[in-house]
Amino acid sequence: MTAVLEHPGSAASTAPARPRRLAWLRERGMGATVLVAAISSAFGVVLIATTGYITSIVRADAQLGESGSIAFVLGIVTVVFVGLAVYIASIVTANTFATVIAGRTRQIALMRLIGASARSQRQRVAAQGLVVGVLGALAGLLAGIALAALGIWAVERMLQLGEIPHTLLDPAFGLPAIVVALTTWAAAWAGSRAVLRVTPLQALAGSVPATHGDAGARRGRGGAAIALLVVGAALLALGVLAGLVSPLGVLIAFAGGVLSFTGIALGAVMLMPPVLRLIGRLFGGSATARLAAQNALRHPARSSRMAIGVVMGVALVTMFAVALESMKQVLAAELGSEPPAELAAVIDTVSAVMMALVGVSAVIAAVGMVNLLTIGVVQRRRELGLLRALGLSNRQVRAMVMLEAVHIAIAALVAGLALGIAYGWAGAQSVFGSMSTDASGATGPTLVWPAVPLWPMAAVISATVVLTLIATVVPTRLATRVAPVEALAAD
Amino acid sequence: MYSGYLRRPTTPKRALRSVEDMEITTTDLGLAARVQHLSRSYGTGEGAVRALDDVSVGIRRGQFTAVMGPSGSGKSTLMHIMAGLDAPSSGRAWIGDTEVTGLGDLELTILRRRRVGFVFQAFNLVPTLDALGNIMLPFDLDGRRPSAMERARIDGLIQTLGLGPRLGHRPHQLSGGQQQRVAIARALATAPDLVFADEPTGNLDSRSGREVLALLAAASAEHGQSIAMVTHDPVAASHADRILFLADGRLVAEKPRQSAEAISRFMLDMEVAA
Repeated sequence: MTAVLEHPGSAASTAPARPRRLAWLRERGMGATVLVAAISSAFGVVLIATTGYITSIVRADAQLGESGSIAFVLGIVTVVFVGLAVYIASIVTANTFATVIAGRTRQIALMRLIGASARSQRQRVAAQGLVVGVLGALAGLLAGIALAALGIWAVERMLQLGEIPHTLLDPAFGLPAIVVALTTWAAAWAGSRAVLRVTPLQALAGSVPATHGDAGARRGRGGAAIALLVVGAALLALGVLAGLVSPLGVLIAFAGGVLSFTGIALGAVMLMPPVLRLIGRLFGGSATARLAAQNALRHPARSSRMAIGVVMGVALVTMFAVALESMKQVLAAELGSEPPAELAAVIDTVSAVMMALVGVSAVIAAVGMVNLLTIGVVQRRRELGLLRALGLSNRQVRAMVMLEAVHIAIAALVAGLALGIAYGWAGAQSVFGSMSTDASGATGPTLVWPAVPLWPMAAVISATVVLTLIATVVPTRLATRVAPVEALAAD
Repeated sequence: MYSGYLRRPTTPKRALRSVEDMEITTTDLGLAARVQHLSRSYGTGEGAVRALDDVSVGIRRGQFTAVMGPSGSGKSTLMHIMAGLDAPSSGRAWIGDTEVTGLGDLELTILRRRRVGFVFQAFNLVPTLDALGNIMLPFDLDGRRPSAMERARIDGLIQTLGLGPRLGHRPHQLSGGQQQRVAIARALATAPDLVFADEPTGNLDSRSGREVLALLAAASAEHGQSIAMVTHDPVAASHADRILFLADGRLVAEKPRQSAEAISRFMLDMEVAA
């Protein structure tokens, strides 16, 4: 409540004069936002340092010769994976801010009542986003440099490469930090849209909180998502067809994949609730299960955005795994025998590296999930107190919060696996569709069966399970500490 | 806030347990619930507040009892302990013949679920469940379906409370009075030993408030439901069969049914005397 008393009616005065003004940093959600920004920024720094170092090794080795093309490929890899991490981090941050603001409605309404404009209130939230983003970006920059130094030291020791010229103070390291700070700011701004809908009257209104979902708010975005999905799916199909004639079909399929995937990310709010509803049915009819299923659907937009990060992570890992495994199968058919061990090893290494790179994004998505579940519990203290008073045991409370997380995780996992297999197959089909798999060498269109590799999939599923279980530790602990008398406490 | 709840004070009366068999039971006294030498302090040292100071009182079975008193008189604390929501610093409390002081968290939870009904001032209903889901919640939490008799009782309640057309509505689609009626249906559905109402009309307009009070009074008069209602509103208390007055953590008076005017006058006199 101190925050309400601090700037009575002032416009957003960003420069914090006293340390007290940073009290909001201790608010739930801010720490996680700093962490998300730090992970993406550190990831960027480490990748830039690693690619720089690899390029140096290549340049130092006369046999490998020209390093220009390798540097170019590594540069693209860096941009794509850091871009993905930053993108997921932005979704997480925007979602966090939207959720935090839902909990601050009363406070914002009071400020509006006193005379603050909605715009100034929103600017204040965005300014907080910038502060959090800068803090996270700087922490990530330092952590990234430290990690890179440690990694290079370890590699030099292990491979005994000798002196490879490299720098740990590349000005390029500042780039991910700056991008992360700016995107956090932008995400906070995007997530703070709800501030504009808060009316001064809400400071006075009755104590029954509005609980209906925030779905259907953005029709325009829905339209764009559908358009992207349709165009993307059409291009994907075209790419697969073109692939029957030439491997260059993969380029069309790739464009289709990017477009349709962006459509899915944008349209998550429309696409995820049916999946959530379906999964919710699987939990059965016990009170705990129904309450958990309903909770996951209470704020469809919030749950969907919580899930979409995990969906993207799972889909991308699965896509690489399926595409590479299918490639192995095609090669095996082509050769009439298992591909040579070296080639198989290269494919597996590429697959593992891709999975690790996408894994960083999955961790960011998991942090977002922990964060939102926790805020959700904090904002529901009164309801949990009511349920405790009415006879929900502590064990049932724990089961309810756990099931809510499991619900979202399973929905994300199912959607991610389905998408990943589809994209992976489309990729493999469009590349290899024109190749003959017949040992006799006859050419003609081939149908590539999607090959789903066992171990990578087991890794994805168990990683999701572990992340989900970790994600529920804090929220369940908070939830089981709610005393029944809190249902009666006036806020 | 919750730490006091979790750290339940141990009753130092274990040695006397053998004598207990000779004690007269709550049921023998015609009571639905009672407390004996109940005290409750919050905080420690100089900042300690004594919310209840050696209170002994019973809630009569089948009656509608109002517990009145100014803010800070301890009336809410008394009811929280009586309903198994909070633990006393010392003293004992019973619901029916079950002693609630000394019960573990799970036992208390099940006791509340099966034997206590709650109607709070506001935010009574689970927002994600519709009206029927909220009414059936005590059964669902217990993992069972209502028996044919209970089902008939619930149908009767839904009809009496006029909730039939609203059963599929979520709380935010209901008016304050309708929400309170759903809460009453839920509280009465299990025919609990005690219905505990905490300022049930505090958030209602006067007409809806009168309706809610009439419904509670009828449940007690016609179905023998024991009800304890905490209120500071003399009009609400005037619907009760019996009124207990608390001030500064002590029971100061006990009166039979009174008019709102008489209750107001008594409360004012209490204020002046204080």
